[in-house]
Amino acid sequence: MKTASGAFLLVLLAIAPAGAATVTNKDADTAILVVVEGESRMEIAVDAGGSESICPAGCFLTTPSGDRIGLQGDENVEIINGSAVVK
Amino acid sequence: MPPKFLVLLFSLGVALSVPTVFAQDAAAPVSATETAVGSAQSQASEQLNVARNELTRLTDLMQAEKSDDNRLSELKVDVDATAKKIIAISIATRPRLDEIKARLAELGDPPAENAPPEAEIVRQERERLIAERGEINALTGDAENLSIQATRLSNAITEIRRALFSNTLLQHTDINPDVLVNAGKALAIEGQALSRSLTSWVSFVWKYKRLSVLSALFLSLCAALLFLSGSYRVFSPLIRRDVKDPEPGYITRLSVAFWSTMIPTTAAGAFVLSSYFFLQSFNVLRADIAPIIAITLGVSVALLFVVTLANAVLAPGEGNWRLVRVSDVGARRLMVAIFAMTAVNSFDYLLGGISEAMGSPVVLTVVKSLFASVIIGLILMTLALIKPMVPAGAPLDGPGRPWPRFMSVLFVLTGGALIAAALAGYVGLARFIATQIVVTSAIMVTAYIGILTGKAVAKQNAFADTVVGRFLEKRYGMGQVSLDQSGLAAGLGIYALVILIFIPLILLQWGFKVADIQAGAYRLFTEIKIGSITISLVGIFAGILLFTIGFFMTRWFQRWLDGSVMARSRVDAGVRNSIKTGIGYLGVGLAGLVGISAAGLDLSSLALVAGALSLGVGFGLQNIVSNFVSGLILLVERPFKVGDWVVTGTTEGFVKRISVRATEIETFQHQSIMVPNSLFINASVGNWTHRNKLGRSDIPVVVGYDTAPRRVMDLLLEIAEAHPLVLRNPSPSAVFSAFGEATMTFELRVYVADIVNGGGVRNDLRLAIYERFRAEGIGSPFPKDVVEAVALEPVPEEPASLEVGLPAPEDAKPGATARRPRRVGVGTGGEPS
Repeated sequence: MKTASGAFLLVLLAIAPAGAATVTNKDADTAILVVVEGESRMEIAVDAGGSESICPAGCFLTTPSGDRIGLQGDENVEIINGSAVVK
Repeated sequence: MPPKFLVLLFSLGVALSVPTVFAQDAAAPVSATETAVGSAQSQASEQLNVARNELTRLTDLMQAEKSDDNRLSELKVDVDATAKKIIAISIATRPRLDEIKARLAELGDPPAENAPPEAEIVRQERERLIAERGEINALTGDAENLSIQATRLSNAITEIRRALFSNTLLQHTDINPDVLVNAGKALAIEGQALSRSLTSWVSFVWKYKRLSVLSALFLSLCAALLFLSGSYRVFSPLIRRDVKDPEPGYITRLSVAFWSTMIPTTAAGAFVLSSYFFLQSFNVLRADIAPIIAITLGVSVALLFVVTLANAVLAPGEGNWRLVRVSDVGARRLMVAIFAMTAVNSFDYLLGGISEAMGSPVVLTVVKSLFASVIIGLILMTLALIKPMVPAGAPLDGPGRPWPRFMSVLFVLTGGALIAAALAGYVGLARFIATQIVVTSAIMVTAYIGILTGKAVAKQNAFADTVVGRFLEKRYGMGQVSLDQSGLAAGLGIYALVILIFIPLILLQWGFKVADIQAGAYRLFTEIKIGSITISLVGIFAGILLFTIGFFMTRWFQRWLDGSVMARSRVDAGVRNSIKTGIGYLGVGLAGLVGISAAGLDLSSLALVAGALSLGVGFGLQNIVSNFVSGLILLVERPFKVGDWVVTGTTEGFVKRISVRATEIETFQHQSIMVPNSLFINASVGNWTHRNKLGRSDIPVVVGYDTAPRRVMDLLLEIAEAHPLVLRNPSPSAVFSAFGEATMTFELRVYVADIVNGGGVRNDLRLAIYERFRAEGIGSPFPKDVVEAVALEPVPEEPASLEVGLPAPEDAKPGATARRPRRVGVGTGGEPS
């Protein structure tokens, strides 16, 4: 069982928890997102099929469809048809 | 600053008792029904309004408390919490937005201009949904703006605090006679004001609150005495210097120094804290008096701390308890100097506090601090003149030597710098440095002694020599190993204590505020960011804890199932073992999964690890995994179980344990052999006791040709049947197995119920055969002059372990018989393998 405990610790160390929210663009076109994080409002372009890590500590996202959503910082967001699907 | 220590203790208690409001609170579930939806949105907008008002309030507060660093640090915590709340509010609207989007997608786009118009109801619903979507977006936009505002406010507070800190430190005041004169006037006014408010307060308290004050003091005295007497009772040998001990050991000196500083200071702290608390709650303190009382109490505790510490380290009266090697005279003078510096510094803070409470002009505080800094600088410079050093081997009560050069230079330079800074007008800086010299170095010395104590206690076998160790040995009869382990634990505990107490204290000294430290500690435990990875210590600890609990639960369940359930239901030992081991694997696996999820680790990334592992399995871990899987197959298929007598390859013996990778086999000579499990799966395994323990045991017998074979066979059968352990059914048999050159070979085959007893049975049978043949005169016809002619002499035994029960080769020992033509013998074949 010592082996088992060791293996457990190893696995604990090996699986690093995911930090920031990940945005993946599933559309065919580049998606322009407006991210408001802290004091700054910035535009982020996510290529078709690409993904991007944003806002580790919570932010607001404006999707190409014009919808605004709040993010806590640990979500996985997919851009489908210009609007966001949070998983 | 000492009062902060009290505040820290108190606010820690408060923080622990007030439940934290989590962001999830705001994320109220959004119901699908329209009315609920409407209310959810109005609720969100209400919450946003609350947050907006909160932000406005905090902004006003920030403006109002621009100069109070302490308050600002608390404000920042509030602002950050509000910012989090705002995000949580907008997250709560997300499900409804998703619903709307899904419904809109179902409804489809509005028909084109020339297309046939759609049903009215559909159009209405679409319009309504689009309006609602706009509403939610507007709401989120509001939240977005508010969040920006909150972050700005938070940053502004940080900026103000930074400016405040550098202002306090580097504020410059021109020191000239006018300032001194003004300060003198202010001092006179302050003295009058102080005496007025003090006398009015005292008379007020004496007239109306006499009982409250007395009971408050009584209660807090009780608390302090309780703590003091309790800790003296428990730690008495740790605190008091034993007068009779002429040569106290290093650990004893260290621990006495550490604990005799810590315990009285903590007791005094408890007293001060509780009396302030009681006075406050009995409404005895007035707004103008409360800060004065607070700072007086705090300063006294700090003074007590430094003086006890100096006394503990220098031990001016008792040279043998001194921690540093300085002369008696030097110790006494150092003690005086330290006391003087601390007293001046404490007095400075006390007067500063009084000035602040009385609303005196700043110039007064500046001048007071100027004097204090100059005095401390002078004391530091005189420290350089003390001659405390004692050369190695010289007695402590002799004359001392001067400090080493760098020490005296350091003292003179620091003292000079203090005086220069103060006279140049940088009084804040001088005061800060003076405080650091007195208080921070005292804290650091205590922490250092604490760490030294921990280190000394944790040393091998050191703990057994301490009072606690001796007590544990006597009271609980602990052995050397466990004492040593507890020593290690005690050492680590002392380290933890030192770090937990002294790091916050030192941070407080350096201008950090309680709220900062709390927020920092909270962040340290909940989220450590390394790049984009966030690690939560609490989560990982929780995971490990859950895993441990799961592990022990599994163990307990295993034991219960094995000992109480399966033992009574007369389950076969092998099945029991298999079930037990299987449950062990299952339980540990489950505990691991639970622990990993509790640690907040993403199980999906486990897939990644598994992928990497499988590659590793392919290359390096192949053997181990194959053995592990073989072990599982062994548990399920059970070709053998614990206690079985197995033969595989060259290994033969009893199975002791089937574990993850290998099976432990104990040979007949009690040698333990670990056989990899895969060997049992891939090669053939012989098991003597698989279904039952019945087994055949053969004894070859060699007789000369002068005896009638039938007679020999009858005799053999008779002997076999007479033995109690030989089974009647299957019945024993005797066969005439081979002709030799001068001898006939017979074989007696008997069945025994437990093959493990085979060796003993064979031994008995051989003895009986020898005696019977002797009595019957079989095998002794040869002449007496043949040296080897000992009738029925058994062939020398093979090692007992190897000669059990396998059928003898057909021509047992033909060579031996050939060389001894006239011998009649009873021998065994019995060579295994």
